Amino acid sequence: MQMISTPLTKISTKTIIQMNDVWASYDGKNSILKEITLSIDRGVNYAIVGESGSGKSTLLKLINGMMNPSCGTVTVDYQIPNIANKNFKKIMSKIGYIPQTLGLVKNLTALENTLMGSLPRVDKLKSIFNIFPDAEISEAHKILKMVGLENKMERKAYQLSGGEKRRVAIARALMQKPDIILADEIVSELDHVTAHEIMELITEAKKRINLTAVMVHHDMNLALEYANRVAVIKQGEKILEIGVEVDKIVDFQTGI
Amino acid sequence: MINPKNNLIIGIVVALVIAASVNINANPADFVNGFPKMVKIAEEMTKVDSKLFQIAFSAMFETIQMAFIGTMIGVAIALPLSILAARNLNSKWVYAPIRALLAMIRTFPSILWAILFVIIVGLGPFAGVLAIIMYTIGFVAKLQYETIEAIDSDPMDAISSIGVSKSQLIRFVVIPESASHLLGQMLYMFDYNVRQTSILGLVGAGGIGYYIINYIQFFEYGKAAVFMLVVLVVVLIIDWVSVKIRDKFIIKSQRGLEMKVKQK
Repeated sequence: MQMISTPLTKISTKTIIQMNDVWASYDGKNSILKEITLSIDRGVNYAIVGESGSGKSTLLKLINGMMNPSCGTVTVDYQIPNIANKNFKKIMSKIGYIPQTLGLVKNLTALENTLMGSLPRVDKLKSIFNIFPDAEISEAHKILKMVGLENKMERKAYQLSGGEKRRVAIARALMQKPDIILADEIVSELDHVTAHEIMELITEAKKRINLTAVMVHHDMNLALEYANRVAVIKQGEKILEIGVEVDKIVDFQTGI
Repeated sequence: MINPKNNLIIGIVVALVIAASVNINANPADFVNGFPKMVKIAEEMTKVDSKLFQIAFSAMFETIQMAFIGTMIGVAIALPLSILAARNLNSKWVYAPIRALLAMIRTFPSILWAILFVIIVGLGPFAGVLAIIMYTIGFVAKLQYETIEAIDSDPMDAISSIGVSKSQLIRFVVIPESASHLLGQMLYMFDYNVRQTSILGLVGAGGIGYYIINYIQFFEYGKAAVFMLVVLVVVLIIDWVSVKIRDKFIIKSQRGLEMKVKQK
């Protein structure tokens, strides 16, 4: 009998994030994510939509290695996201992560928060004494200008409005010169106008660098408007994945 | 007091207080009998010897300096220890021994440290300063590691997920996030240390307490009163100043707002 070996999943060279039959759990009993299989191509704007508690945030944590799957495999740039994996450590600095609460250090200024994105590549000892290379400082100025905060660089994070804080979080992620940005409900609590401004900002940044964005959304309309692909998660399972073309929506599972 | 169980608990507590008082011979009758003596002391104390104010102020100045040195050096040593003692930053093998050491330091009240240092370095303010340093290390390190363990985990996660070193994480997240608490603890500790240092003179470790104990031992209550009055005034001033500093730097950064003080 002839044995035919075929790879379980085809990984194209375009793929940057690959998940195969991934299960995740916080307590080892209740699975937050079940049987998640997805592949995200380089440069794609990928949206994950679902109700709260559906496991969307957990999905992002699996990508940047803050959490390990209980079953299945995750690869990011062909590396397993795990802090113990030395090859992944090099990739970590290229993954921008914006948690739902943004994770800004409230007693530091917008500029200092932005500069933190450069920490993995600057001199460790000098950074402890708050000495950053001039090139990094001017880069931070440039990014803060791009996100519209040129007049508020010296404001402490706690003095900024909700929309401004999100801009700082984006600036920090961009400061990493990222390949991937993971953003968890970054516009959920904002009014319509501000939400669109923030989304435009990310779209604008994506044009400049070949960036893969994985963004968790609450609002389906927003996801459809800005993403190339949308995955819908319900109770930990991916129930739908659609590709968004210019004017039509293609269901990848049915091909219609 | 609807629940009869509560009444029972109160009854038990009252019974325990009475039983313990009988046990240690604490008799309220002694207080009543001794009351005339208290009146006499109060009367003596009103005979304030105003010539002594100059000495009292210079002794108080020495006390404040001792408390200042002790607080600053104590905090400077406590800060790195608190980082090592925080459970969210270190493995068990690091934080457990540090915590045990800090607990040992805290076991001694500052007056016992003072006695110990008087034996080691001799009489005088230096022994007092060393005692204050030890006391400050024990307490500030504990308060500070508890603060570090309670800081918001989101900035910690967000920054550590991009692959920064631990020292960078401490410098850019842990210290800024806990800095306002540290300032509060420093103020509290200085305030407390001024009062502590005022009594360290009792064991010969310098400061204003030396004068107070000497005058009281020779029943010169009027003279002791001068020194006590100076302590009172200075402590009130320090209290007032630290409230102002708190309002300006701490409350705002903790809440992100200016606190509204209720106006009468």
